[in-house]
Amino acid sequence: MFDLAFNDLNEILAMDGHGVYVWSVYSIAISIIVASFLIAKNRIRGVKRKIKIKNAPS
Amino acid sequence: MLIVGWIWGLLFAPQDAVQGNSYRIIFLHVPAVIYAELIYFFMALCALMHLVWRVKLAAYLIKSAAPIGAMITFIGLFSGSVWGIPTWGTWWQWDARITSTLILFIMYLGILTLHGSFSNLEKSDRLMSILVVIGVVNIPIIKKSVDWWSTLHQPASISVSGGSSIDPSMLYPLLISIIGLGFTLISLGILSSRSYILGREKNKKWVSEYV
Repeated sequence: MFDLAFNDLNEILAMDGHGVYVWSVYSIAISIIVASFLIAKNRIRGVKRKIKIKNAPS
Repeated sequence: MLIVGWIWGLLFAPQDAVQGNSYRIIFLHVPAVIYAELIYFFMALCALMHLVWRVKLAAYLIKSAAPIGAMITFIGLFSGSVWGIPTWGTWWQWDARITSTLILFIMYLGILTLHGSFSNLEKSDRLMSILVVIGVVNIPIIKKSVDWWSTLHQPASISVSGGSSIDPSMLYPLLISIIGLGFTLISLGILSSRSYILGREKNKKWVSEYV
């Protein structure tokens, strides 16, 4: 069950001609998920900054 | 956990006898469409809580979950389309499962658009909840579409009640990917709801004290 299904890196990338489909799907999905995390973290930072500015003593 | 599931599925699971290596998209596609439906179901429960008991937090959770639902539905549709090219010879087919999932994606976008269309946020919360409850009728349609109609899309390979038609060497990484994506989306949901609640409640004393 834990034997590598491929012999070398070229086979992993090519996946018998299906590599372009498999790797493009995973790359795009990972990029979208990572971007979502970054956007959410930035939003929290932005909201906190706005609230701090609003509450700062003038 | 998601990374473990994907590495196991992509590199260690055996090649499929019929589909070759293109089937490895399953470790992304199946978890994505499962959560596309589950997130909507969660939103429908929140919408009921908001409409019946006027729970404000429930509306905030719907608004925070909707973009994540749209994102994961898009990933599900996109991965399915790409998988269709080597498997079916086409990237799109207007069959019941694919079309009802597209409707789910449009529902998510509609909910977000509707909520952004009103300056009165309480009113938009209520209308958004009504739309979510109406749209939940699509979830059993997606689930049962492969049984009710003759579709190009294959029937479910795993079910909560009735076991699985997949070999364990492929099933285990799939289950790990499903659980892993669940944790990933919960983390994203917590971050998303945190920023939304802080933004909505910014004038409240507790938010000033928290920040």
